[in-house]
Formats: sequence, C-alpha cells, structure tokens
Amino acid sequence: MLRHLTTTILGQRLRSAVGGDVLRRMYHERVVDHYNNPRNVGSFDKNDPNVGTGLVGAPACGDVMKLQIRVDEESGKIVDACFKTFGCGSAIASSSVATEWVKGKPMEEVLSIKNTEIAKHLSLPPVKLHCSMLAEDAIKAAVKDYEAKRSKSNGSQDAEPLGKAADA
Amino acid sequence: MLKKKLCSSSQISAILSRSVTSTNFSSPISISHCCNSLIFNSPSLFSSSSSCFFGRAEGNPFHSGRGLFVPTSISNLTRDNARFLRNENLFCSLSKSAEKYHCWNCGADAENSTLFLFCEACRSVQPVNESTDYFQIFGLGREYKVKVEELEKKYKDWQKKLHPDLVHSKSQREREYAAEQSARVIDAYRTLTDPLSRAIYLVKLEGVLVDEEERITDPELLAEVMELREAVDEAEGTRALNEIQVQLQEKLRYWSNSFEDAYLNKNYEDALASIRRMTYYKRTNEEIVKKL
Repeated sequence: MLRHLTTTILGQRLRSAVGGDVLRRMYHERVVDHYNNPRNVGSFDKNDPNVGTGLVGAPACGDVMKLQIRVDEESGKIVDACFKTFGCGSAIASSSVATEWVKGKPMEEVLSIKNTEIAKHLSLPPVKLHCSMLAEDAIKAAVKDYEAKRSKSNGSQDAEPLGKAADA
Repeated sequence: MLKKKLCSSSQISAILSRSVTSTNFSSPISISHCCNSLIFNSPSLFSSSSSCFFGRAEGNPFHSGRGLFVPTSISNLTRDNARFLRNENLFCSLSKSAEKYHCWNCGADAENSTLFLFCEACRSVQPVNESTDYFQIFGLGREYKVKVEELEKKYKDWQKKLHPDLVHSKSQREREYAAEQSARVIDAYRTLTDPLSRAIYLVKLEGVLVDEEERITDPELLAEVMELREAVDEAEGTRALNEIQVQLQEKLRYWSNSFEDAYLNKNYEDALASIRRMTYYKRTNEEIVKKL
C-alpha cells in the first residue's frame, strides 16, 4: 500500500530522471532513497488531542503537504511523526526528512529546524529550495496547531510563548 | 542607398520601441549612441522622418522631457538634426504609433505596425517584435474568453507563412527569423489555448506576476485539495476517476468565471486567488489522466 502510495505520488517523473542520461541533473541519491524507501508516510487521527497537524501548500506548483506530530504531554517531546505530500520528489523527500528529524525532539527544538539544513541534506538545487521551505513551514504549523489545541482544552496561558516562537 | 535609409529608420523605430517598452528609462545613452552612428550615415533621413517621432503618447507617459538625446558630439550634427534632437516632446507611444515598420527585405511599409510578422509584398518573414503580445498575434484584444477553434485556424494560417520548413531556399537571416517567429507563434498558441496559462499571461500583461515560490496555509483550500488528491490516489477503476474528473471540470469552470469577473473589475488579488485554485485543480486532473 505504501509502495502504491509513493508510486502514484511521485509518478513517472522521478523514474525517468533516475534512468535518464548522466549529463542531465538528477535527483540526489538521498531524494531517491526517500522515494524508494518511504518512511513515516501516513495519517494520525486529527482529533486526537496529542496530535498536531500542519497543512501547507505551494500553489504555483500545485503542491500540498501535511505533516503530523504526536506529542507526549508530560515531556513535551514529539514521540511520533508522519506525513503525506502530493508534489514533486523534492517536496516529498523534504517532508520525509522533516518527520525523521522531529522524532524524539522537544517541540521548542524542532522550531529551530531550518529549511537550509534540509536542503543541504538533500542537495536540493536552487529551483527546489522552496520545497524545503514548505517542510519548515509544515513543522511550525504542526507545532502551532498542537499548541492551539492544548490551550483551547486547558484554557491555560502556557501555550503563549511557544505559540509566539512558532510564528517567528 | 534607399534601402539603407529605410533600414536605418526601422532600426531607430525598433530601438525606440524596445526602449520604450522597458519600464526604466536608463537607456537613453545607448539610444544616443545608436542614433549618432545612424545620423552620420544618413543625415537627411531625420528631417524627412522626424515627424514620426513628434507625437503625444496616450495613456502611458513614456516621455523623458528634455535631455533624452544628449549626444556628446552634437556640434557635429547638421542644423536639422540638432533641431530634431533638442525637441522636448519626444514621445513614442506604443499602440497608436506614428512610426512605421518596414520590411528588411523589400523596404515595403508594414500595413499594421503592431502586427508585422510577415511581409505580404515580398513574402518574407520578419524579425520578432517583442512588443507584440500574444493576443495581438491572434488578432484578439486582451480578453479572457477566446474561441479556441478560431485560435486554431489562425495558428495554422500563420504557420503556413512562417514555418521554417518553408524557408529552406531562403537566406540564413530569413531562416533565423522564421525559426524565432514560428516558435513565438507556437508559444502564443499554447499559452492562449489553455485557460490557466491564458489567465496567468493576461495578468502578466498588467504587470501582475504569479509568485512561483508562494506558500499558503489556507486550511479550507488545502484540506479540499488534500481530499481530492487522496481520492484520486485511492480511486479504483475508470468510473471512480471519471467521476472525480467531472467534479474537477465543474470547479475549473466556476473558478474560470471567477477569474474573468475579477480581471474585468481589475481585482487582481481575487484574480490571483482564482489562478491558485485553478492550478490545484489542473494538477489534480493531470494526476487522474496519468492514472487513466
């Protein structure tokens, strides 16, 4: 099922890029790896109070990215993450890397993940830098959503500082 | 000799119209350089054709007032030329231009200065004029609604005159013109036949550019697109896919009309919003087509 999902998501383009001629710019092997061995593709229950959902999009390319985090209430750490992205190989790989990097980290820390780090890790060409920006936005949106949910249920003001950091 | 004179004036017209279409006017120096060399070649040209340049621009104030032409060697010029150059009202309007284009080959006047791709007199292809927009190529005004069958007919008519295959026996220069001109017509045809690219081009002509790297967080739109993409992904069989396609066509039609309304009211924010939606639906449709 996962294979089917990534196959249809990535479509023909990536395969032809991989099999294409050497002179053409190809996807970096890490991007190809995320395509062949997809990790953390899936969905959490949106209504679960411990889940934060970040939904972002790049309308010019028609990309849409959903990144979800499951947070442990007591420690404030992200215990699990998953994503679903419809878009190019770079967008999918960026969100996949994002889910890998946020796992096990406290929420404040993941807010400092920069798109440039993701782009560097995947050796993204300049035209694809905005895909990594999208992934950074998705992380922040997921954290923001979780905070909003928590403050709504608690009615507490504790969420404020983190919420502000997410906006930054 | 006559040919050379006419060539020079068309070069000046071309230079002027090119500089006028660019929004910043920091190219007066280059104009004056070109003019200097042309002036020395054919001084009498200016007094006879100087009337071309004395006109009021309508709408767009592309005038520079004094000092547009400040050639350093002004003392070398004849009285006529100096008078022409020091004139203050040196305008060059775009569409209602008094300047004429001339065929590079036979020197004939262009019947229509905004659309001169091909000289009917000597049947030779003309160089590309970037200031002619895609709508003008097809004899249309800047409107969103077009009749696609008419576009196709006009496109074929053009290719019968411009296609590179028809110029094998002609000069290298004309073969190059044919290659560029027919490529531009193909571009124009493709841009105008697809509603989305037509919309993007239309607002581009108004100076409104779609941001290639824009990111949005609109939850309603994104949730809808997510749902659609997931539906396409999970759809089994042609019937399910066709059903989604029908929905998409409906949405595309709705937002197409919304774009037109926004465009007519010069509401470019809404126009861009419609373009965003249309892009998402078109992309989803492409995925369906891949699956089918």
